[in-house]
Amino acid sequence: MGTTLKQSWKEKADQALGASPEDATLSKTYLFVSFITLLIGGVLGLIQGLNRAGILELPSWLNYYQVLTAHGILLILVFTALFTIGYFYAVLSHNLGGLLPKARKMAWIGFGLKVIGLIFVIVPIIMNEASVMFTFYPPLAAHPVFYFGLVLLVVGVWMCAFGAFIQVANWRKKNKGQHVPILSYFATGVFVLLFFSSIPVAIEVFMIIPWAIGWVETINVMLSRTLFWAFGHTLVNIWYLTAVSAWYVVVPKIIGGRRFSDTLTRVVIILLVILNIPGGFHHQIIDPGIAESVKFLHVFMSLAIGFPSLMTAYAMFAVFEKTARKKGGKGLFRWFNKLPWGDVRFLAPMVAMIAFIPGGAGGIAQSTNQLNQVAHNTLWVVGHFHLTLGTTAALTFFGISYWLVPYLSKRVLTPAINRLGVIQTIFWSAGMIFMAGAMHWVGLLGSPRRTSYTTYFDNATALSWDPYLIFLAVGGTLLMIGVLIQVYAVIHLMFFAPKGETEFPIAEEEDNASKTPYWTERWGMIIVIMLLVIAMGYVIPLVEMIVNAPPGSPPFRPW
Amino acid sequence: MKHLIYGLLIFMVMALPPVSNLLESIMIVHMHMQMPILVVSGFIMGRFFQIYFPVFFNKWNENGFPGILLFCIIMLYWMLPRTMDEALTVQSVQIFKFISLPFLAGIPLRDSWGKLSSNAKNIIIAVFTFVFIVMGIIYIFSPEQICNNYLIVEQITLGWGFITMAICMMIYLAYKTSINPEEYE
Repeated sequence: MGTTLKQSWKEKADQALGASPEDATLSKTYLFVSFITLLIGGVLGLIQGLNRAGILELPSWLNYYQVLTAHGILLILVFTALFTIGYFYAVLSHNLGGLLPKARKMAWIGFGLKVIGLIFVIVPIIMNEASVMFTFYPPLAAHPVFYFGLVLLVVGVWMCAFGAFIQVANWRKKNKGQHVPILSYFATGVFVLLFFSSIPVAIEVFMIIPWAIGWVETINVMLSRTLFWAFGHTLVNIWYLTAVSAWYVVVPKIIGGRRFSDTLTRVVIILLVILNIPGGFHHQIIDPGIAESVKFLHVFMSLAIGFPSLMTAYAMFAVFEKTARKKGGKGLFRWFNKLPWGDVRFLAPMVAMIAFIPGGAGGIAQSTNQLNQVAHNTLWVVGHFHLTLGTTAALTFFGISYWLVPYLSKRVLTPAINRLGVIQTIFWSAGMIFMAGAMHWVGLLGSPRRTSYTTYFDNATALSWDPYLIFLAVGGTLLMIGVLIQVYAVIHLMFFAPKGETEFPIAEEEDNASKTPYWTERWGMIIVIMLLVIAMGYVIPLVEMIVNAPPGSPPFRPW
Repeated sequence: MKHLIYGLLIFMVMALPPVSNLLESIMIVHMHMQMPILVVSGFIMGRFFQIYFPVFFNKWNENGFPGILLFCIIMLYWMLPRTMDEALTVQSVQIFKFISLPFLAGIPLRDSWGKLSSNAKNIIIAVFTFVFIVMGIIYIFSPEQICNNYLIVEQITLGWGFITMAICMMIYLAYKTSINPEEYE
């Protein structure tokens, strides 16, 4: 009884006074390094875009594929992972009465491992020993140190995942029968996915290491690709789930509304966790060696992931309309005017959501066998993930930063920085319309992805891509301005903004909300079902790939 | 009534020739997807029968053991390689599959599962885990084709399907025994 009382006072005090300095330092460090990564990755992206458009000649000591690999790894693996972990540790600290010393220590060890891992990964890329692109699957072979770095990155993520699990389990023991607060529930889902999806990629890397060192001569390429995409696709949904957490919980508070159904929110999380990992197969939809009937069955698994997204779209627009009408909004669409468009904390995630309409639709198109054959390995795909990751996830992360960073640093968001954030969102949206739009279009015309600028001996078709590539470069330049503004805003909010208290915005449920069933807390069951679904998805193709394995491939280093 | 409709709907979709042909064309999908879905269709319909024929279930399945025994017999029968072969080649056996799995396995499972104690449930899962491991080993390591209708590679795939399901059930049992819900609920 005494402990419970003490605990609840501590929680109340923490919520009133903001994050404890130790927890805040942890999250701020993660976020700071994350945004520095964004800056470096952004510069590399600009160089790459200009080079690809044929505008910029790279110096002899730097090639397109080095830049491409570094840009991908920094932004896809590092920026997103560090932001997600920093954000969710802030959530756990705020929601669950401060971090346990053990959990905090694990997150710091995880951070150290990730930083060392990152150095191991980046140095071979700089030395032009690892231009294997962010997907790093064979037959392209990097320097072994690159893979050691990946191992450290994965172990670092595992440390953070287990820190989070310990934190949540501890809270549940002290708050028997209660539901884990919704944002921490999102965190649990994300860390479950992070842990389980990084197992296949860890197996892949342990297959690659002896091959890259030269202990074994060949490797099973199909198997490696399959193990990679089990992770790769789930990573996509980890960013998405992180973004969705802010849409469901934070955005309603910022617009002055209430949350949509708590049960629906938790069911969306559960579905995304259960259905996700086998979704990786739609990245291999035109790979040889997988029977057509298996690919057909996999379409169901891929499209099943679209279902919770449709639930989310419905829920979000229901919240917007309900809140806007309460504020006097009228008409079929005029109520949109009542939403706080001038508040970057709303505008950025809102644009992110809107971008997910074409982004998600494009994803469904790509999961379809025949349509995929048109778009596969073209710039369309790059356009697609610049819409989903580059806009839906990244812009939501930016929106989060405008309240999370001042909350952690005990500062406030000034109107000037808010205005700057709005300008940043506009730059980002315009840049993405140009860049992702041009990529989608030129991809349909056949322009390949992952290819340095070439006119293919002035072939007429290849020359016809050039105008679109110029649009790509224009978009990239606008995005670079967006990156600079964003990084400036984060650093300003972290170190220079006026001191003050910023609220951690968490929307309440509706007054007449129905009770959430307790089965949603039974993560053991959810994980067992998830593993069954993974087994359903992977046993057939993996056995086929292993039992009927081709001779295997030696390492290739075409750069 | 809605339970009957939903269950019948799944049953009818499963019985559509293109659906059954596709699912039966892959050995593991035949055993680990089509057959369980048929059981699930019966499980869903089961509620209808419980409501409309309570006396029958109370009389014949008072403590849940007769029902779960019937379920186990039907499940074990359909794990035999020969029965799968016959379902593909002998029409009457195929009909028996579509009747036995929903009505003699799914419905009794629905009625029995709620009546069994927690320990009995865990024992049933443990028994199936053991059977799945044994079946998995047989299917993976048999040097011969056990089913006339499927290739050896499909047999190995099915074996791994058994093993992965057994692993899932072991994780579930470990979770059940190591985590005390009273600490959290």
